[in-house]
Amino acid sequence: MSTKAKAKELAPDRVVAFASEREMPPLAVSLGTSLANKTGSWRYLRPVYEEKEPPCNHACPAGNDIRGFIALILKGKLAEARELLCETNPFPAITGRVCHHPCELECNRQKLDEPLSIRALERLAGDEGYNGKGLRPPRRRHKERIAIVGSGPAGLSCAYFLARKGYQVAIFEAERKPGGMLRWGIPEYRLPKAVLERELALLRDLGIEFKAGLRVGQDLRLEELQAGYDTIFLAVGATAGVELELPGGEAAGVLHGLEFLKRVNFGERVELGERVAVIGGGNTAMDAARVALRLGAKPVVVYRRTRAEMPAIPEEVEAALEEGVEFTFLAAPIEVLTANGQLKGARFIKMELGPPDETGRRRPMPIKGSEFKLELDNLILAVGERPDLSFLPEGVKLREGRVNDPVLVEALRAPIFAGGDAATGAGTVVEAIASGRRGAEAIDRHLRGLPEPEPEREPVLVPFERINLDYFEPRPRAQGRALAVPERVTNFEEIELGLSLEQGQLEAERCFSCGGCNQCDNCITYCPDVAISRHDDQYEVDYDYCKGCGICAQECPRWVISLVEEEK
Amino acid sequence: MIEIKQSSPYPLRGVLPTDELMLSGHLACQGCGAALVMRYALKALGERTIAVIPACCWTIIAGAFPYSALRVPLFHTAFETAASAAAGIKAGLEVLGKGDITVLAWAGDGGTFDIGLQALSGAAERNDDIIYVCYDNEAYMNTGIQRSSATPWRAWTTTTPTRHPKDEPKKDMMAIMAAHRIPYAATASPAYPEDLVRKMQKAKAIRGTKFIHIISPCPPGWKSASELSVKLARLAVQTKIFPLYEVENGLKWRITLEPKGLPVEEYLKLQGRFRHLSPEEIRKIQETVDAEWARLVAKAKAEAS
Amino acid sequence: MATEVELKAGIPSGKKVITGNYAVSYGAALARAQVIAAYPITPQTQIVELLADFCAEGALRANFIKVESEHSAMAACIGAAAVGARAFTATSAQGLALMHEMLHWAAGARLPIVMANVNRAMGPPWSIWTDQNDSLSQRDTGWMQFYCESNQEALDTVIQAYKVAEKVLLPAMLVLDAFFLSHTSEPVEIPEQGLVDRYLPPYNPEFKLDITDPRAFGGITMPSEYFELRYKMQKAMEEALEVAKAADLEFKELFGRGYGLVEPYRLEDAELALVTSGTVTSTARLVIDELRAKGERVGLLKVRLFRPFPTALVREHLLKVPKIAVIDRNISFGHGGIFAQEIKSALYNAEPRRPLFGFVAGLGGRDITPELIEEIIAYALAHDRPEEEIIWMGVKR
Repeated sequence: MSTKAKAKELAPDRVVAFASEREMPPLAVSLGTSLANKTGSWRYLRPVYEEKEPPCNHACPAGNDIRGFIALILKGKLAEARELLCETNPFPAITGRVCHHPCELECNRQKLDEPLSIRALERLAGDEGYNGKGLRPPRRRHKERIAIVGSGPAGLSCAYFLARKGYQVAIFEAERKPGGMLRWGIPEYRLPKAVLERELALLRDLGIEFKAGLRVGQDLRLEELQAGYDTIFLAVGATAGVELELPGGEAAGVLHGLEFLKRVNFGERVELGERVAVIGGGNTAMDAARVALRLGAKPVVVYRRTRAEMPAIPEEVEAALEEGVEFTFLAAPIEVLTANGQLKGARFIKMELGPPDETGRRRPMPIKGSEFKLELDNLILAVGERPDLSFLPEGVKLREGRVNDPVLVEALRAPIFAGGDAATGAGTVVEAIASGRRGAEAIDRHLRGLPEPEPEREPVLVPFERINLDYFEPRPRAQGRALAVPERVTNFEEIELGLSLEQGQLEAERCFSCGGCNQCDNCITYCPDVAISRHDDQYEVDYDYCKGCGICAQECPRWVISLVEEEK
Repeated sequence: MIEIKQSSPYPLRGVLPTDELMLSGHLACQGCGAALVMRYALKALGERTIAVIPACCWTIIAGAFPYSALRVPLFHTAFETAASAAAGIKAGLEVLGKGDITVLAWAGDGGTFDIGLQALSGAAERNDDIIYVCYDNEAYMNTGIQRSSATPWRAWTTTTPTRHPKDEPKKDMMAIMAAHRIPYAATASPAYPEDLVRKMQKAKAIRGTKFIHIISPCPPGWKSASELSVKLARLAVQTKIFPLYEVENGLKWRITLEPKGLPVEEYLKLQGRFRHLSPEEIRKIQETVDAEWARLVAKAKAEAS
Repeated sequence: MATEVELKAGIPSGKKVITGNYAVSYGAALARAQVIAAYPITPQTQIVELLADFCAEGALRANFIKVESEHSAMAACIGAAAVGARAFTATSAQGLALMHEMLHWAAGARLPIVMANVNRAMGPPWSIWTDQNDSLSQRDTGWMQFYCESNQEALDTVIQAYKVAEKVLLPAMLVLDAFFLSHTSEPVEIPEQGLVDRYLPPYNPEFKLDITDPRAFGGITMPSEYFELRYKMQKAMEEALEVAKAADLEFKELFGRGYGLVEPYRLEDAELALVTSGTVTSTARLVIDELRAKGERVGLLKVRLFRPFPTALVREHLLKVPKIAVIDRNISFGHGGIFAQEIKSALYNAEPRRPLFGFVAGLGGRDITPELIEEIIAYALAHDRPEEEIIWMGVKR
């Protein structure tokens, strides 16, 4: 056989050695390939694919896989995006509208230009990812039945996750219709009832039983409930307005924010005068002011700190300003002025900011002698909410998870659970959803006799500095279509119209996908040693040949690849 | 101007031919730009290619006898003969009825700017049907970092020590090639493989002498971190130190990527060979780069009007 | 000059009075050289001029690259040969010296390129006239070297050189004297193309640049293998002696002419053997004939093949003769005439020891006249041993 014929039979990575000159070709011609050189032995740094936690995921109280669902939107896979969100959050269409989006506050992208429009993307997935069909009821795996008191976001969330685990769940709601704060605390122009109804319908598909119009403690005693169910989850919310000790506060024309919103939401015609002051700086205050505006009033929001300290979602403040709501900052009411039990106005005092209080915000201090008066037709107090636990024995305090209040334990002689605002104090929708999920998990562990899970290890977060900005050009964030101010202030039509799929995909393109591989192939493309390959969506480094130059890690736009020292 | 989708989430996915005609196990240093550009070039040219390599880093990279790192035929030739040997190969192929095979001369800056310039000029003047690639690592790297006429002004090399760094500017090789009125000349950078591949494919489709000048970061020679090679190749472009453009028939100049115009210091500061530069020298480099860029823009504009 | 119509059909055969340069052109054309890369230099230029005509007129289907230097000429020939094309070039003196690096490359790459070198003296000072220092300086590059005496031999040697080179995978150089041969017209029998084709089939090497069998050629080679590759080159040179002998015999059978690797002339019973190469041989033949006619027992050995050196043949012919006189139209500065050295070294390990007279003559194109050769012979006959290692002939002192 000729030298050449012999050479052709060699495996590409075979070492070619010659015992004598007779085995050699007449000239220096290659008979094998460089695959015989295992140049991986040169390496002292080893690239490894190690996904890391994006700050958005980390900031989400519900634990949504934000990076993951955005990646699916990018691929146009809205149904999958919704499905992924529904792993941790039953209502992406709702949180996609009303969430206070702490994710966006942490989004690394804001250090380049603006944070991603995560909430709008969630809404896109929540709305457009819904295929119009119902959900398949999960397999009933457990015989235990669970009663949930309260059908606000916490109760619904707990019910949802328990149902998915295969439990039988019934929700007891005091009002005529379920939804709690979602139904009567949030105005239609922010969360249309149709959206709520659709999401609730999906919960019914899961086999969750809704018992509305039954007020526990009034129509039904807690003990009775307990008798029919294996355990109870209390999620009655924080529905009572925080009272301001204002002289004259009981006058007609003085309203409480939540109560006002509830009446409007339930279709009641609430008569307001033109001159309305809304006291407070939170979301309820914003909602109340904007609802009042839509009812024909000219509301002014009076807040004792400045705009920077307002706990309301900034977009809501912005929208209120746009719509013509007036703001008086650094002022607080000190007295309601009445005539014949009827509100006529209020006296206010100007404030200045002092040293920070326990919340870290600067404490407002009254400025002596700065009192002023406003003539008013209505005064809406929206300075906070607290749980109404009047159906429980006197003095009982709830906390999230298994209730350990001795009075209640003694009274019920069986463990019950609590969550949501009722247990944590007034919070946000997404926090209530998260609390409901934790409740479901605690109940499941209790019923299954499972131990407490190990606390999760603190994940490695991706800091902005680890993003390779060579791959990202500044680009403004997506703006969904919205009703213009004149089109919206006279009605309760939903203002935000959401992103189109195309807008959503463009917005998803802005996502750094911090710490999450999106199969961009940069690592393959820039490997000078041809040592990286992709099989479906998995990358593989051929350590026989990788010399450890680190280009793959450097050129990874999103810090998925880490370099670890080789053991010597 | 071509659209480089650097801001897309997948700027490079699916944009390059998938064939790998350069194999792993080659002997390039960690982070070698020259290895990267060969990989791209062969992806662009395909299997019907014969490579000619004179003395240069690639003499080593390609592997020792009896191995080869290329899946195309490769002829090693003497330092100054890349263009002439390639011309001979092409002539042989033509007479044997295989004239459609692409002949790729693949030389470093020393083999191109210096010792091989005569042979390259000869081939270019005859318009021999070859693609001549100069992968430019801006010094004699294979022999251990000695200055070439491609070494930038004030760069350190072992023959231009920091106490007397290079006094002369880098030779304008593209202008020399354009002056030969060859049908196609282009610059490229491994940071922009899509552009590089497109230019190589364009060159392949044109008959005559094609010259592709590719900036090729060299971690040991530039005293830069191996992982920064692609970043440096990108910064060279974005600082306008090594703009991406092409020249057709020596007359039609076209800028193929609009650089951001980052300060040259961004590029210089990542390389040990420039560590000794004074602020004054950096300023002078910036001025030179700006002036050269203005000249390039003028040439491109002259064509457009 | 043949008409274009005639040429289209190929190279016309038959007797023709042509210069040595043109004889080489005809040889290359008949050998069907496929790639020619050349650069002009006196006195070679006519070789490639005629080849350019042949190509232009279609008589020769070859790609002629008009390179910008001899260095590139050889590099281009190397490239062409590496893809399996038959490559040809011609040069002289400075051009050959410029090629030096690539001569090594061609040989090391085992590429059977054939080149004509018209011997011209090296500058400075400038000279365009003949001597052998240019070609002999390339002695150790791994090229075979054939020294030609006549125009016919030049033509025939081109064809034979390809035959041998392609068999042993080494390049070959045929050497002819400037002007005495290159520009002197002689009647030359131009063989039939068909016959040449029978003698010299197309070149198709086992290893070549081939996209269906991609391989690297000439990559860096470690000491563990380099030595063996050089051993194989020497073995190929040794094989070339036999191959060249056989090729010459086969040529003689087909064309009725042969030259041998060396040619003894009237050496039987000679007291003195004159050793020559190139055109001096023809002059020396006349002198030998005249002296023989006068009863002097002198003969001649023409060395045609210089590399590989035909040691066995040289011994066979010269050891029979009591005295040897070598005429060198060349000088290895610091030692002496190169043929003389080579012959001494060939005879050193053989018995009996014969006195060898080394004559250096005709450098830079100085005529080597019959009288000068007579003087040489007279000196050798008159002395038992040379008085000097170099006997300078004709130096004005």
